Amino acid sequence: MRNEPLLSVSNLTVNLLTAKSAVRPVDGVSYSVRQGECLAIVGESGSGKTVMNFAPLGLMPTGVTTMLSGSVKLEGRELIGLPEAEIQKLRGKSVGFIFQDPMSALNPVRRIGRQIAEMAELHLNMTPKAAEARALELVKLVGISDPAARLRQYPHELSGGLRQRVVIAIALAGEPKLLIADEPTTALDVTVQAQILRLLKDVQKRLNMAMVLITHDMGVVAGAADNIVVMYAARAAERGPVDTVLVNPRHPYTRGLINAIPRREDPVGAEFRGLPGLPPALAAPFKGCAFTPRCDMAVPACSLARPPLEQVDGNVFVACPVVNHGKVAA
Amino acid sequence: MNLSPVLKVENLQTRFKSVQRGKFVHAVDDVSIELFPGEIVGLVGESGCGKSTLGRSIVGLEKATAGRVLLDGVDLSTLSGAALRKSRRALQYVFQDPYSSLNDRQTVGEAIDEALIIDGLRDPTARERRTKELLDQVGLVSVVKDRHTRELSGGQRQRVAIARSLAVNPRVLICDEPVSALDLSIRAQVMNLFLRLQKDLGVACLFIAHDLALVRQAASRTYVMYLGKIVEHGPSQELYDHPSHPYAQMLLASAPEVDPRIEKSRRGPLMIGEIPSPTNPPSGCRFRTRCPLAVDACAQALPPAISLSADHDASCLLAAELHRGSRSALAIQAA
Ligand SMILES: Nc1ncnc2c1ncn2[C@@H]1O[C@H](COP(=O)(O)OP(=O)(O)OP(=O)(O)O)[C@@H](O)[C@H]1O
Ligand SMILES: Nc1ncnc2c1ncn2[C@@H]1O[C@H](COP(=O)(O)OP(=O)(O)OP(=O)(O)O)[C@@H](O)[C@H]1O
Ligand SMILES: [Mg+2]
Ligand SMILES: [Mg+2]
Repeated sequence: MRNEPLLSVSNLTVNLLTAKSAVRPVDGVSYSVRQGECLAIVGESGSGKTVMNFAPLGLMPTGVTTMLSGSVKLEGRELIGLPEAEIQKLRGKSVGFIFQDPMSALNPVRRIGRQIAEMAELHLNMTPKAAEARALELVKLVGISDPAARLRQYPHELSGGLRQRVVIAIALAGEPKLLIADEPTTALDVTVQAQILRLLKDVQKRLNMAMVLITHDMGVVAGAADNIVVMYAARAAERGPVDTVLVNPRHPYTRGLINAIPRREDPVGAEFRGLPGLPPALAAPFKGCAFTPRCDMAVPACSLARPPLEQVDGNVFVACPVVNHGKVAA
Repeated sequence: MNLSPVLKVENLQTRFKSVQRGKFVHAVDDVSIELFPGEIVGLVGESGCGKSTLGRSIVGLEKATAGRVLLDGVDLSTLSGAALRKSRRALQYVFQDPYSSLNDRQTVGEAIDEALIIDGLRDPTARERRTKELLDQVGLVSVVKDRHTRELSGGQRQRVAIARSLAVNPRVLICDEPVSALDLSIRAQVMNLFLRLQKDLGVACLFIAHDLALVRQAASRTYVMYLGKIVEHGPSQELYDHPSHPYAQMLLASAPEVDPRIEKSRRGPLMIGEIPSPTNPPSGCRFRTRCPLAVDACAQALPPAISLSADHDASCLLAAELHRGSRSALAIQAA
């Protein structure tokens, strides 16, 4: 059991149908996260990072039909095909969430203490009184000073950093085994970001949680994550230990992303490096590699068949035959 | 620079009514800044320090409670009616979120056309020509003119929003985290657009962002703000090489590196505790409650801006020593 991943996703595909459109934002993605481990998911905006994590837990807005295939196992239990009532029991309890939109996370007209206590009542079946005590414990856990006074405050009275600590306290209220944090520090400056990441790492260790961290900041990945999945157009382009992938990126997209980060030696006023072109629309699945039109290493074969994710060395997987086998073999 | 500033902000103060009865949120307190034509200037600082409020007060989206905003030397508070509206149009605000700043039901062409009409351009053929010109300037081929803004990617939308701001021939753009919502790969395209606008059109730009590396590269000068006040200002390269206010030192040293070996060997966050409430800011230096170098004198009076080198100054009693490198706020943290 020790070596079983807590979350194991294999060949997950998500199709979204709305009245006007059909998209496949997740196309055959696999990864896993163990207890006490942090997995970072990075990639273009719209590449499917949020949908991939939230759709299997039934967290999609109304007005879309979600169709899932493949497998998502949490503690060995298959989530795909599970009735909504069962999934609902997991949400907030076995799995805690930090949502991308910081504005919607807190109710502006209710006191902080009440909002945290409610989660404890809901997920741990606590009496209101016990839940109040639990709320106090949680605000202490997330490092908020003067906790008793803070519980009586409203969200707008708090700084951005404090508000994010409260959001984390709420996510932890149900004592989750897995925490999914979607861009938890994007709205914060670097000093507060450093504090919030340290806090997340601390509670993760203390509660021996598994964590999935969605971000587009490679610096955040470098400091917080053990492993990384790089998404491009609904698929995983590269996957592996952070220490290897960030230092020695192989997939042309990963390389382009890392190359686009401004460096200290770039002169003031110099052009910014980027990737040419635009990411593709996800309406139709591609036959070949979706990165081909923007790739400086592409060969004609790239647009013909979907590149498989192949193990290169160590635990690094790369979906690029040109990188893996050279131009000729591809 | 021997030009005169296009925008001069003098002793600007913006206070909000606090939820605590009879008290005020001191969001922007006695801030003075200058922008010269064709210059990108950075504004950085902790979440909640007042960057957006400063930007919004400059363009009139927020009402400043004291101080002056001068455009080409003219105090906006002395203007009214058409003259004020004309000056206000010369100051444009680009929002962080390209999703909420455009009307979903409009096509790209309509969104820009609307701005041109507001600017008083009556002739439809002239408007059409100008629309094409604007779309060219922001690197969007005029083919997208008939697409609805909702069909565009984030980067394209942000460029439409910028084209719209440019429609009224602004002298100054206040850009509030204009690329935070964009992909790394598209971010470069939009940043290069700002660099070009500055060079080709001479538009001055106040650039608010959390990404310090990005600000350093884009901005010739940078202002560092803490709890409603500018604490340091200087040419970007000089300021990033020799930050001389303890807060600036800690801020710059907190920027994460992409190298996991460096990041994982960090001892912990440099900055401890929370930004104090702007409703009850500390006496004297506002950073003293979190400053590793603070002494009694820091609580007595607001430290004056100390000039360190050409155009570089910091409001700290120890600024000269910090600039020379004989002391550092980081050395104390590490001990
Ligand atoms: N409710 C929805 N209805 C229809 N399509 C949707 C819905 N939510 C997401 N999508 C589509 O699914 C794709 C993936 O979206 P997702 O939000 O997962 O991207 P992401 O990688 O999280 O991007 P970002 O970095 O911008 O948050 C996008 O193309 C998006 O347009
Ligand atoms: N309308 C308002 N009423 C009361 N207080 C306000 C109002 N708008 C802003 N504030 C407060 O003023 C201070 C400065 O806020 P502002 O949004 O300008 O900060 P910021 O530097 O832009 O932060 P961020 O980096 O998080 O965007 C904060 O304490 C904020 O809570
Ligand atoms: Mg997302
Ligand atoms: Mg702001």
